[in-house]
Amino acid sequence: MTNIERLKDLVVEVFLIDPSDFHLGLMRDQVDTWDSLGVVSLAVGVQETFGYHLTQEEALRIQGITDVIRILESRGIAFNE
Amino acid sequence: MSRPEVREIAWLKEASLSTAVVWATPSVLGRITKELGIAPVSPLCEVPESADTLIVAGGGELMDQAKHFRARLRPDLRLILAPSIWGSGAEISPIVVLNANGVKEISIGEEFLPDAVVYWPELLETVSKVRARHACGDAWSHALEAFLSPLGCERVKNELAGLIAEMTQLPLRADPRWFGASSRACRLQAKSSVGLVHGIAHVLEYPLRVRYPEQDWGHAKLCSVFLLPVMELNRESSAKWADLTRQYGLSEEVLWGVLQQLFEPAGYAQALPMLKENWTKILRNPCTRTNGVLIRQKHIEFFERVVA
Repeated sequence: MTNIERLKDLVVEVFLIDPSDFHLGLMRDQVDTWDSLGVVSLAVGVQETFGYHLTQEEALRIQGITDVIRILESRGIAFNE
Repeated sequence: MSRPEVREIAWLKEASLSTAVVWATPSVLGRITKELGIAPVSPLCEVPESADTLIVAGGGELMDQAKHFRARLRPDLRLILAPSIWGSGAEISPIVVLNANGVKEISIGEEFLPDAVVYWPELLETVSKVRARHACGDAWSHALEAFLSPLGCERVKNELAGLIAEMTQLPLRADPRWFGASSRACRLQAKSSVGLVHGIAHVLEYPLRVRYPEQDWGHAKLCSVFLLPVMELNRESSAKWADLTRQYGLSEEVLWGVLQQLFEPAGYAQALPMLKENWTKILRNPCTRTNGVLIRQKHIEFFERVVA
C-alpha cells in the first residue's frame, strides 16, 4: 500500500466520507465533518498511520489534503511513490 | 472558572433553610425530610417565587436538570447540590447533559456551576450493590478516557495517573471516598476529553431504555459494560495504552483486574445488536471523535469478537 493510499483510507475513516469523494484537492471547507473535532481525529490518525505527531500549530493550519502531504513530506514521508 | 464551595453536611443542617426548596430523588426523600425538616417538592415544577435557595439531592440527571433550571429560569436562586451517588461528577461540572427526545443535548457554561456542593455519606445507604458498581464504572470511564485523550496535556495526565492509582485502592462498592475521586475525575476530564465509551453511552442510552425498560439501562451501566471492551480495543489498536501506563507507572495488571470486575457479559450481549445498528451514529458522536485511538468503521468487528 502506498502512502497516498494510506492517507486516503485515513481521511475516509476520520471524516466518514465516501472513498470516491477523496481527491488531492479536497479542502476543509468542503467536508462538514472536518471541524475542530475532525482536526483532533486527524492528528490521532496521522500519528497511528504515519508515526508522526502533528504539533498543535500544524494541525490547526491544515486547510486541505495538500497541507497534510506537505507536512508529512517535510518529515521525510514520501508521497511521490 | 470558580469552583463551587464543598461543604460538610453539618453546614447544611445548621444553615437557615426557611426559604429553601428541595428537589430529591425518591430513594433519599425520607432522609431529606427527616434531617433537614423541609418537605421536598416535585422536581422541575414547584419553586415558589419566595424561595431563595434550591437544594437538590439526587443523581446526575436531576442535578443537571436543576443546574439548567437555575441558569435559564431562576438565576436568583442559590443552588446547593448533594449527590445521592457518585460517578457523574455533575455536582462540580460546568457541563449540563439533558435528554431531549432521545438525543443528548450538551451545554457548557460557568452559569451551570452550583454555589455549593454537600457530600452527604449517609445518602449512600440507599445505593444498591449493582448501582454502586455502575457508578464506579462511570467514574472509571471518566478517568481512563481522559487519561488516554489526545487533548490532555502532560500536567493533566500526571494528575490523572495519580488519581487512577488512588482509585485502584477503592472498593467497587458504596464508599464515600468515591465522591472525591469521582469529582476529580470529572474535573480532569473537562480539561481533556472523554472517548468512545461515552460516545456509545450517549447514543445507546435512549434506545436501550426504550427496548429494555426493566433493565435499568442508564449512563453509568453503559459505561461499566463497555469500559473493558473499549479499553481492550484501545490497547489492541495502538501502543498508546501500553506507552502511557508505563510512562506514568500504572500497573496494567491491576487496571485490567478492575475493568474485568466492572464488565457484565449478559448486559454486553444484550446491548451488542444495538451497538451494531447504531455504529455509524456512534462514530459521528463528538465523544467518540476525541477518543485516544482513532475509531474506525471496521472496529465494530472487534466488539463482535469480544462475545465470541
